[in-house]
Formats: sequence, C-alpha cells, structure tokens
Amino acid sequence: MASIDTISRNLMLDSLREYAKRRIPYDLIRELDEKNEFPADILKEMYEHDVLGLHLLMVPAEYGGVSGGTFDIYRVCEMLARIDLGIATGVFATFLGTDPLNVGGTSEQKEKWLRRIASENLLVAYGATEADAGSDLINLRTRAEQVVKNGKIAGYNITGNKQWISNGGVADLYTILAMAPGGPSWFLVERNMEGFSPNKHEDKHGIRLSNTAGLSLDNVFVPAENLIGMEEGKGLLQAQAVFGYTRVMVAAFGLGAGMEALEQAIRYSQQRIQAGTPLSDKQGYTHKLIVPNYVKLEGAKTYIEDVANRLDSGEHGLQTEGAIAKYGASEWGNKAADDAIQALGGYGYTKDFPVEKIKRDIKITCIYEGTSEVLQMTIYRGRWQEHLKSRGRYYLDMADKLDQVHAGEPGAGAHAAALALRALAAVLEECRVHKLTRHQHVTFKLGALICAAETAAVFATACAAQKYGETVRFDRPTWQAMSRVFAREAALGVAMEGLALVLGASENGGDLAEAVNMTAVQAEQKGMIADMDLVAAKLKQTFKAK
Amino acid sequence: MNIVVCVKQVPDTTEVKINPETGTLIRNGVPSIINPYDHFALQTALELKKKHGFRVTVVSMGPPQAKSVVQMGLALGADEGVLLSDMAFAGSDTWATSYALAKAVKKIGKTDMIFCGMQAIDGDTAQTGPAIAQHLGMAQVTFCEHVEVDGRRIIARKQIDGGYETVECRPPALFTMIMHKDYVPKYPSFLAVHASLAKPYHVWSAEDIGAEAQYLGLKGSPTQVSKIYPPPQKEKAEMFAGSGQAAAERILEIMRKEHFTQ
Amino acid sequence: MIEVSKKCIGCGKCVPVCPFAAINMIDKKAVMNEACTLCGVCVQICPVQAIAITREEASRRDHSGFKGVWVYVELTETGDKTHPKKIKPVTFELLGAGRKLADELKEDLCAVLLTDKDHGYEKELGSYGADKVYMVEHDELFEYNTDIFSTVVVSLVNRHKPSVMLYGATIQGRDLAPRVASALYVGLTADCTALAIKDGLLLQSRPAFGGNIMADILSPNSRPQMATVRPNVMKMNEPVHGRTAMTVRESAKLDKSLRRVKVLERKLSHDGGGVRIENAKIIVSGGRGMKTKDKFKLLDELSKLLGGVVGASRAAVDLGFKEKTHQVGQSGTTVSPKLYLSFGISGAVQHIVGMKSSDVIVAVNKDPNAPIFNVAKYGIVGDAHEIAPKLIEALKKK
Repeated sequence: MASIDTISRNLMLDSLREYAKRRIPYDLIRELDEKNEFPADILKEMYEHDVLGLHLLMVPAEYGGVSGGTFDIYRVCEMLARIDLGIATGVFATFLGTDPLNVGGTSEQKEKWLRRIASENLLVAYGATEADAGSDLINLRTRAEQVVKNGKIAGYNITGNKQWISNGGVADLYTILAMAPGGPSWFLVERNMEGFSPNKHEDKHGIRLSNTAGLSLDNVFVPAENLIGMEEGKGLLQAQAVFGYTRVMVAAFGLGAGMEALEQAIRYSQQRIQAGTPLSDKQGYTHKLIVPNYVKLEGAKTYIEDVANRLDSGEHGLQTEGAIAKYGASEWGNKAADDAIQALGGYGYTKDFPVEKIKRDIKITCIYEGTSEVLQMTIYRGRWQEHLKSRGRYYLDMADKLDQVHAGEPGAGAHAAALALRALAAVLEECRVHKLTRHQHVTFKLGALICAAETAAVFATACAAQKYGETVRFDRPTWQAMSRVFAREAALGVAMEGLALVLGASENGGDLAEAVNMTAVQAEQKGMIADMDLVAAKLKQTFKAK
Repeated sequence: MNIVVCVKQVPDTTEVKINPETGTLIRNGVPSIINPYDHFALQTALELKKKHGFRVTVVSMGPPQAKSVVQMGLALGADEGVLLSDMAFAGSDTWATSYALAKAVKKIGKTDMIFCGMQAIDGDTAQTGPAIAQHLGMAQVTFCEHVEVDGRRIIARKQIDGGYETVECRPPALFTMIMHKDYVPKYPSFLAVHASLAKPYHVWSAEDIGAEAQYLGLKGSPTQVSKIYPPPQKEKAEMFAGSGQAAAERILEIMRKEHFTQ
Repeated sequence: MIEVSKKCIGCGKCVPVCPFAAINMIDKKAVMNEACTLCGVCVQICPVQAIAITREEASRRDHSGFKGVWVYVELTETGDKTHPKKIKPVTFELLGAGRKLADELKEDLCAVLLTDKDHGYEKELGSYGADKVYMVEHDELFEYNTDIFSTVVVSLVNRHKPSVMLYGATIQGRDLAPRVASALYVGLTADCTALAIKDGLLLQSRPAFGGNIMADILSPNSRPQMATVRPNVMKMNEPVHGRTAMTVRESAKLDKSLRRVKVLERKLSHDGGGVRIENAKIIVSGGRGMKTKDKFKLLDELSKLLGGVVGASRAAVDLGFKEKTHQVGQSGTTVSPKLYLSFGISGAVQHIVGMKSSDVIVAVNKDPNAPIFNVAKYGIVGDAHEIAPKLIEALKKK
C-alpha cells in the first residue's frame, strides 16, 4: 500500500502528539506502570473516529479506514513508542491481529471484518505464540477439527492454549493460528464464543501498560467462513508474508523508545553541572554515553525508512531487510536506553525520570516479533544465499556502488561503508572456503556483522543524496558526520570481529587481515574525534534543556 | 453567512534557538505550526458554522508547504481551502500581505465575516487583520475573545486597554482573535485528515486573484528590513548552582545585599 | 529577487540560520527554494557576500512636502466626572522620543488630539514637548471608534502631510494605526523598541521571531513613516511648565452612520486592591519551568510575602498557568520594577524586551545557558518549582 502524502501524515502525527501531551502525561503512565494496568479507556479513546481513529491506519479506505502505508505506520509507531511502549504495543497488537486478514482474507471476509474493526473500533489480538511455539510456529499444538454437517464443512472446533498474547485479556477479536487437517491456518475468533477464555494478565518486567495474557480454547466452534482465506494450510505463508512489514513496526518501537531516552539524557546533561561545567561539555560523557548511541539509532532510522519506502513502492517480502531493521533498531535502542540511565546517574535509576521505565520497556523489542537471535539467523540465512548465488560478488558489488557514491560526495562516509562491505565479503568467503558456518556461533555473528555493514551502506547513501528525507533533523554537515562515525565503527567492527571470528574457528586464516584490508580500515578512523565533537555540539543545540 | 478565516504557518518560536557564538537563529528541527491565535480564530469560526450552518473558507498565504495549515482547517471542518502561493508574494510586508488576502477574499465571493488571529507569533505585528478590513472597507473588531451571532447582529467581547468591551455590529465585519483562558485547541482525527483530501482546495497565484504586481512582494511593501541582528546582551550574571535549599538561601542573601529584605 | 553569485564557496553557513529552511546546498552552492521570504538573514551571515537581495524600485513618490513629527494622543477614562478623561502616559513617552526625532529633522513636533471636549490638554502636551497641537473637537469623538477615528486621522494626514507619525502600541494604537497605514498606503512598523533618524529616514528597531532576533526597519518610499511604540520603553521628558504649544483647531464632518461598531457595555478593571503589574516595584514572575498551574500558585504566595505582583511568561499564559493580564513581554506588558525575580523563564527575547530595564533581575532556571541569564544580575541554576517552596519556607521562618 502506498503511503499517505507528507502533509496529511504530519497532521496526523501532530494530532497524536497533542493528544498524548494532553491525555497521557508521565505521571499517569508511571502510576499505571506501577499498578500493572492496561489503560482501556485511553486505547478506546484513541480509536474513536473523532478523536484520533488510530486503528484506521491499518484499514484500507474502501473499508472505512485511511489506507496507511508502511512509512505512515512506521512514523506512528515511532511516536507511540516515545509516548509509552506499552500503549504502543496495545495498538500494535490490533495492527498485527488485522494483518492475516489484510494479507490472506477473501474480499467478503475483508468487507465484513475490516469494516467491523474500523467502524466498531475493535481491539484485536494476534494469537500465534504457544508455550512450545514461538518463532518456530511449526510446533503448533492448537488444533482445529473440521465439523461436517450435511457433507459440508460447517466449521471448526478449536482446542489449545496460546501464550503471551498482547491484548490477550482485553481484545474483542482474535486471529488465532491453529493446525487444521490441511495445515496451519488462521481463524477469526470472537471474545464471546463459547469455550474461549483469556487467562490472567502477566506481571512483566516492562511494557506494563500493555495487557498480556494467555488464551484457552476449549472446543471453540468457529463457522467455516471464519477461516481466513477460506483455505486450510496457508497460515505460515500468511504469517511470513508480513514479517518484513511487522518487523519494521517493532524496529520503529526500538528506535522511538531509544531516541526518547537519549534525548532526555541530552537535555539533562546540559543542566547537570559537574566541577563547573555541564556534563554535555565533557567528552568522557558525550563520546561514551550519547554520541555513539545516537549515531547508531540515526543509522537504524535511515535503514527503517529505506525498507518502509521500498515496501510502499511495491516490493514484496523483504524478510531479511525487515530482520536487519528490527535487529539493529532494537539492540541499539536497548543499549541507548541502558546508557541513558547511566547518563542520568542516580536520577536515572529512580522512577522519577522516565528513562528507567523506557529501559524496562524497550527490552521487549529484542524479544517479540522474533528474538534478536532468531533475527541474526534469519539475516545470515538470507544473505548467505546471496553470497553463494553471486559467487561472492554480492557485497563487492554493493561496495562498488558505495565507492561511486563516495566519488560524488566524499563527506558522507561512503568510503568507510564500502570498506565494511568489502571486509564482510572477505569474511563470508573465508567462512565458505573453510566451511565455518557449521558453527552456529559463526552464523549468528555473521548476522550481526551484516546488519552493521548494510546499515552503514544505506546511511551513507542517504547522506550523500541531494535532498534529505522529511525526518532528518540535522543540517548536512552534522548528518554526514553521523554517517561517517557510523561507517567507521562498522568498518572497524566487521574487520576486527570478522577476523577474530575466522581465526577462532579455523586452522588457517592467515591472510585474512590483508583480505579485510585492516590497514585501510584503521587509516579510515582519522577524524573520528572531530566528528564526534561536532555531533555532540549539535545534539546539545537540537535538544536544548526545557 | 459566509466566513473566511485567515491562517498563517509559523515556526514555533518557543522552539527557536539562537546560536550563542554567532547570534543567529537555528532553524533545524524547529517545527512549523499553525499560528496559535489563528488556530483559535479557526475554532471560533467553526463553532459558528456548527451552530448556524455558515460556510467557512480557510485562506493562507505562503510557500507550498503552508498547505498544511489550510488542510488542517479543512480537517477540522471548513468547507473550502485556498493557498495563495506565488514567488511574487515573497518579501511582502503587512501592507502587501493584506492587499493579497483582501484580493483573495474578493475572489472567494460574498463574505460576511472574516476571522484572523490577533497577531502571528513570528512577527507580532497585529497589523494584517485591520489592514485587510481597510482594503475591503469592512468594519473591524480587534482583540476579541468571543464572537456570537444572533440573526444579523454580531456580538463580540473584546479586550480594550484596561478592561473589556462588549460590542455589536452587522456584517460584513472582520474580527481578530486573542485566546480566552479556557480555550483548548482541537486537532483533527486521522479520519478527518483523510477526508479533508476530498474537500475543495485551490492554490492561487497573484494573477489568479487579480493582484497587481506593483503592490506585491518587496516592491509593493512600504517597509523594508534594513538589518537583522541578535538582541543585545548584557554582562554575564553572577551564577550559582546548588540544591533547592541552598538556592533559596542564596536568593535571600541577594535580597539582603540589594536591600529588599532585612 | 534573491540571487547567489559565483562567489559562493559552498560553506553552508547560510543553511542552518535560515528561519524558513529555504536554503539547500546543491552542487556546493546555496540554492533558495520557494519557502524563501527574502528576510535577509542569509545575506548577513554569508562570509563572502555571495548572496544579494535586489528590489525593483517602487515608483518614487514626492516626499518634499511632508514635514513634522506627529504623535497620536491617546486618552483614557478616569472615572472622575469633572475630568472624565486624561492623557495616557505613553503619549508623553512618545513626545519624549518624538522630540529627539523632530530636533534632528529640524521639524515641528505635533500632537494629534481627537476629543469630544477640550479639557486644556494642549497645555500638558506643550509642557511635554509638543510644538503644535492639532485638535479636532466633535461630539462623535466621545469614545474611541475605529471607523470614526481612522477617518479623522487619515484626513488630517492628507491635509498636513507629516513625515513621521507615532502611536502607542496599546490596544487602541494597534487597532487604529494599521487601518490608517492601509488607507494611505504607507509603511507601518509595529512595537518598536528604539527609534532614530538615519540619512533623514526614520530607523525603527523591533524584535521579531518571538524576540529571538532584532530587525531594523525603514519606510523609505512613503510618508508619513508610521510606527507604534511600546509603553514603558521610551523615557518621557520632565514637563516644562509654561512651555506652550500652538493649537490648530481642525474641523471634521462626522455623522452617526460612520459608527459601524457600537459599544454595548464597557468593563474597566481599575484593579481594586492589587497593584497593576506595570507599576509594581517588585515582580515575581514564572514560566514554563513552574511545570503546573498548581505549582505556579506558589508564586502568588511568594509575591505576597515580598509585597510584589505576579508576572508570567507567554508560555505560562499559553499553558493556562496565569491570566493574560499578568503577561510580561512583547505581547504582554512591559515592566521596569526595582526587583524582577523570575522562576523557570528561559527568556525568549519576546519576554526579555518586556523586563530588561528592571533594576535588579534575579533569574532561576535549570538551563545554565538560558538567555534570561544574559540580562540577569544574579543567576540561579536549578529547578524553579523546587526552589520556590523552599524560598517561601525560608521567608516564613524569618
């Protein structure tokens, strides 16, 4: 689905921001967090058509929605995450729950259910996960048995248990994945159906404003027309088809929450005077706790936007890209939030400041919609295939393109990004020659290195462009400095860690230091501190103390 | 009745930052917003529409991205939107701006009431509203808090120096609005924003409104900016930082030193 | 037209300073997009003078016959039956400023007085520096009305052709002046904080962008050059008793049909009890940093303890912490108390222009770089909403 025009999208975001400012102050969030309470009234109000109608973003205009595209949903998710990741998760669950319908529903089903979701403001939950089936849905235990009447399938009796379902205890409508005779399939289950009952609300580490509960299905009869797509066995495909897209949403969560924590730390650092000067003027503080994190998240943001725009322009799947987006944004966001606590010192460790809550909340982004480890594997698998298929040219070709970018715009970090990509190609090739991917550790580690190198490439390319995207808040010199910092770190990380990885796993990897071009990577580090100084100064200017 | 509301897109001046080294404005990251007084004017007009079924047209002048404030007006309930956008308008002072807006009102057609914000937060002149009224030969009531309509009578409560007046007039008239204290700004829902795309919206050039080039832009503006500079700074203050208690004691000490208390 | 010459070195300094984000660097050269308003900030920042704004010359009008500095006299109700109206202090401030301009131009300083009944105002106007008083006495001038007053002023200007005309930036002045300027097609500069003569022209200085920058404005091609001036900014001269002004009586044809807006009710708050903020000796002022309306109330208590009046920044008023009548600054009231104690006001220049002439400024703000500290004598870095109650406690203890 194409995205909404920029002006309309920004008007929607303004409305969401103003609503949150007025209706969801931190004091309220803190209270709900302590009570482990789901703010049903706020969620319902945000769905009201004349207040916000947030859920309409997921519904095509023909069914009464506003036809949001991936970029729109990313922007809204990012802002929701800045407000509260628990509330964001409640909204996200509706988005996610609606997805199987959007992807696999017949036109009659869409007409009926999407219209109902839009007009009745239904809270939706996505019921896939079970005790033994998380990212490995193939172990699904919930069964759907056919109920045959007069020689026709009249419906299904569904039995089983679901676990950790967001909105589980509060949704009106559930999309439930169950094993039908023809294979895994999605069913629409309404809350009031007989035999269906949610379990108790979990007591969680974070996102405590989100309702999370298990579901019990005891011989719940659903009519045949509630089988999404009217065909059994399509469930996993339907789930897979949207991973690129749903992972962009969770990536936006990691990004938004991580950025929020950092921005609060930046504002704080200008007020806290230590030995006569504010913390924001001390390199030992900014260059450790602020700048590296901000730069990482800025890279993640650029990557997310690239994937979102590609999806909106009609590309399909992008599972690997979705995984890279989510892995980077959630891991770096998590680290940023952790460092934000450190940046606030003792205050950061108290509940008087929101960073403590953000840190607890953001951890979930490394877990749900595919844990970081599952994503590392997904990324590795996707790109390993490309490496083999291209006979090792995949990243070398990408690096050639970056070198062209560098020729046109030498300040954007494209050369360092190209070094990262070439080093990555060398490491992958070494792993192939010595069959090192028999070690799972190597494959997972490769996933992480791929994420860093590809993000550097996308960031540098965006920084070299004539015109910047609508979300870039910095001037050209600053944004390019950010990209250079990112790309240098990526190059150094891929070269050093890749080298260490290979040396640790194989008998002979002696020439690799030359293959990853360690000399060039190290030479490229020149100017790092000056760039970090610039970024620290600009961050201080952009996020002034309030 | 037909109402026209004039709105302006402005940088959020509360977010504008100054580069302390050069004394210049830092614009990056400063959001553009609807001028808050215009937002109130818009809401006043839309309440009258709701109550009496009047027709509301939103007009703005600015670069293409100023469409945003017009669309916001449409999303909040206005019937039609107009953006005056033309390089010929660039550099217009309040005289030239009000001339163009008055021309646009004429093109829109019979207009009974015009609403403007008292002033824009980026210029703070409070001149454009009265100047439009003069160009159109309309009555004006400035600094209003509240406007209501009873048949052909319009009753407004307005601020005057040292108090308030309740005044009465008949259409056509122009009103400039201040914000009253219980005012809560409304923002449009996602659905309303989406629906606003289907409402009539026009971009008009100087030629479209029949404005004469000699009265527009820098050339048509009687005032000229000769210099822009940072506000003067005094000597640095004697600074103190400490806990709440220590700070309170420090303030007491200052007041003693300056002979405000014993 | 704005043009970037070949001299542009692509340094990019103009990009971040543009208030409208209207400059892009394309192929290492500054390029202006359609958001440009020709404000001129980039012209000044450019280190190599590569940016130029050219204006087509408007057809020059003949200004030779325009002479005299005019001051619009504003009257205010007193509530006293024998002298129901008196001249507002801002008028005397304008005469003080106008006197200097008139001397420099070697022209007369004239007061323009519209009233239903003369109460010997011309003497007072003369003692404050007016050489001439143009007086229009007419029953229809019993109270201010936009249509009637603007009609009279426009006809007086057309008849006598002054070179400069000043109004107080009061609600009345800001209602009248743009109407007159619009009718005459002349330049009007709002809310000036300084006036001077430069090359025979009136140089008008005023804050812009919420007071974040200052601008000097000229109106070279139209006469009179009109400006509104904020009350409490200009110094009034000591009145010279016995100094008289020549009175020129002017007639006006006015009838009721001109009065399109009628006053039904007028409520003047003569402020029973409380001291008005513009006259206060001590002002305790609060801003956004007071966080909530409830915490802002602490300042009421504090100002009572100190015998002062509460002020507020625009942010605080916009957030509903305090009524608009307490607002200090460009869009509020200009004040100059003995002590100005501010809590949680960062000090946008829009605020600072309204309080900078206070004798002693003590500012509390948590941002050590807040601009308020540039005008304060004493700065306290800390959380305003935490320090205020501690100060109350300490004052009560004494």
